[in-house]
Amino acid sequence: MSRVNTVLGPIPTEELGIVAIHEHIGYGMPGSELDTRWWKTPEERYEETVPKLRKFHQYGGGTFVDVTGICNGRDVDYYKSLSAKTGVHIVACTGFVGGDTALPFFERASVEYLTRQFVHEIAVGIGDTGSRAGVIKVGVSRGGRMTELDKRIYRAAARAALSTGVPILTHLAIDAENAIAIFHEEGLPLDRVLFGHVDDGVNAEKTRDTWIAEQGGRVGFDTFGYETELEDPPFWARPRKERLDHFLRFLGAGHLDKALAGVDANCSPLGWPGVKGHTVNYLFEDLIPDLREAGIDEATITKLFVENPADFLTIQN
Amino acid sequence: MKGSQTAESNTVNTVLGPVPADELGVVSVHEALLSAIPGAEHAFDIAMDRAEIFEILAAKLTEFRDHGGRTIVDSTGMFHGRDVNLYEALSRSTGVHIVASTGMGPEEMLGGYFLTPQTNPPTPWPAEKFAELFTKEITEGMVIPRVERRGAAGLVTTTATRGGMTATDESLFRGAARAALQTGVAVSLRYGQDAAADLEIVVDEQLPAHRVVVGGLDRKDAVAAGAPLEIARRGAFVALDHVGPDNGAHITDSERAVVVRELVEAGHGDRILLSSSTIGVAKGQPDCDVPFSYVLSTFVPLLTAQGLGDADVQRILVDNPRELLSVR
Repeated sequence: MSRVNTVLGPIPTEELGIVAIHEHIGYGMPGSELDTRWWKTPEERYEETVPKLRKFHQYGGGTFVDVTGICNGRDVDYYKSLSAKTGVHIVACTGFVGGDTALPFFERASVEYLTRQFVHEIAVGIGDTGSRAGVIKVGVSRGGRMTELDKRIYRAAARAALSTGVPILTHLAIDAENAIAIFHEEGLPLDRVLFGHVDDGVNAEKTRDTWIAEQGGRVGFDTFGYETELEDPPFWARPRKERLDHFLRFLGAGHLDKALAGVDANCSPLGWPGVKGHTVNYLFEDLIPDLREAGIDEATITKLFVENPADFLTIQN
Repeated sequence: MKGSQTAESNTVNTVLGPVPADELGVVSVHEALLSAIPGAEHAFDIAMDRAEIFEILAAKLTEFRDHGGRTIVDSTGMFHGRDVNLYEALSRSTGVHIVASTGMGPEEMLGGYFLTPQTNPPTPWPAEKFAELFTKEITEGMVIPRVERRGAAGLVTTTATRGGMTATDESLFRGAARAALQTGVAVSLRYGQDAAADLEIVVDEQLPAHRVVVGGLDRKDAVAAGAPLEIARRGAFVALDHVGPDNGAHITDSERAVVVRELVEAGHGDRILLSSSTIGVAKGQPDCDVPFSYVLSTFVPLLTAQGLGDADVQRILVDNPRELLSVR
């Protein structure tokens, strides 16, 4: 039986549909909840979020993978209500966006403890929500190199992925040699790992995307829409055409099987202003049209947004 | 002595609102009610049963009250388990005044929002931003994260890294000092490596030393360096705040009683504060079974044995903390 954990329970892989693979309902750095400048009423949060998810659903979107890690404002009860009322499947994650978003309790924890935390959230549930995590998030801290804590988290994620069968998504694919070494040591096949953000404006030049694919890893072009053309672009923005060309080169080199694409938008950011004009629906409104215009056929689009995500997300056991 | 300024108009910020300073009674200035290592609330194997937490804390506060205690200061700051709603209910239920604190520290206890913000480069927060964050907790209310503000913090607390103050620790200290200057509450700092140098950081912000309590001065290294006397000479309050069974890192109670007597003899009786730094309910860290009443029930007799009179004890347990906590 093929299945994927969503916040409302396991669903068959066949029901996933078009997947937004790297998204956030709302992301905030740990501690941002103490700063009232970012606070929104529940009414505001639903008002900012529900129309985006409803539109996503109307466009034909099936599944929203939320990769807001532990300590970053992950709010599974909220996700459950959003999913139930909009019809969008929401997959929640366990894990951390990076070592620098793990609070002191986890910063001090051993690989063994972190593994148990991740496995519990996948096999039993997240907190007392009863919802099981469908993916594991890991990432590289600010600074460009994996820290000792980042590595501890990657190793625990590898062990949890092996024992539960859920896949790993990474925040940033820089310093991939160290990441891959850990996955090899733990015996995790690299097709269970999506190396994300290979396309972002800060790190694209330093990221060995084709090398990762050659090793067997999946490669995420998942910051589409963070463009220098925006009214107020973030520091990781990149010219629209440059990113698209980068992706087309990657596909042209024969790596379609390893490719995933997403937009990493926030429906309603928690601890930062967010990026005006960028939503999950960039996927339907801009990205897919751009791909079609570049000559990408429908079978390839289905492969990128339905088949590859389904293959990746399906629990292996 | 500044005690003469303790007019009836002075108030102290408690979780149930301002209280006339003269009503505080016996105060324990450095304690923790609910103390949670940041992140522990997300741990798969840690339960946060509010009813159970309340029951345990209520019993401990009642025990404190039964021994003559009237006011507890939760000096854990704004990001270490503080639960203002729970503390309000506890104070109403037990009759013990509860003063909650704002502030954070040391650096290793902060969230990434303050250390690696979403800017390029990810520059850690400067003093001014910490000052604003802490000040609002006093002037506008303490945060219940992403829900509301309630009450007013009665103290700004911060701590320096044991191995030595980091750049962000210094921002926290300066921010705490500025918040204290702007609002009139006092600063409670736990020193890192060098108590006098850490005190000088907040004094450098023009905060008078008598609006500062320096904690951890019963650490063995502090006593060996003569820090209690030095800090008292500089005019700050001296917190001997690990009163309790021998734990290896601090001097013993009998040694502590001698330090108290020496400070009194040196004319610094108005600078001394005593507390146990005990924890009512601990999450993500070991429990601490020292009762809130320990100073009253167990340590005061040692002071008497050192020759201190009732007036000295009254000054240390009642007058000095009243002075510290009164909003200026």
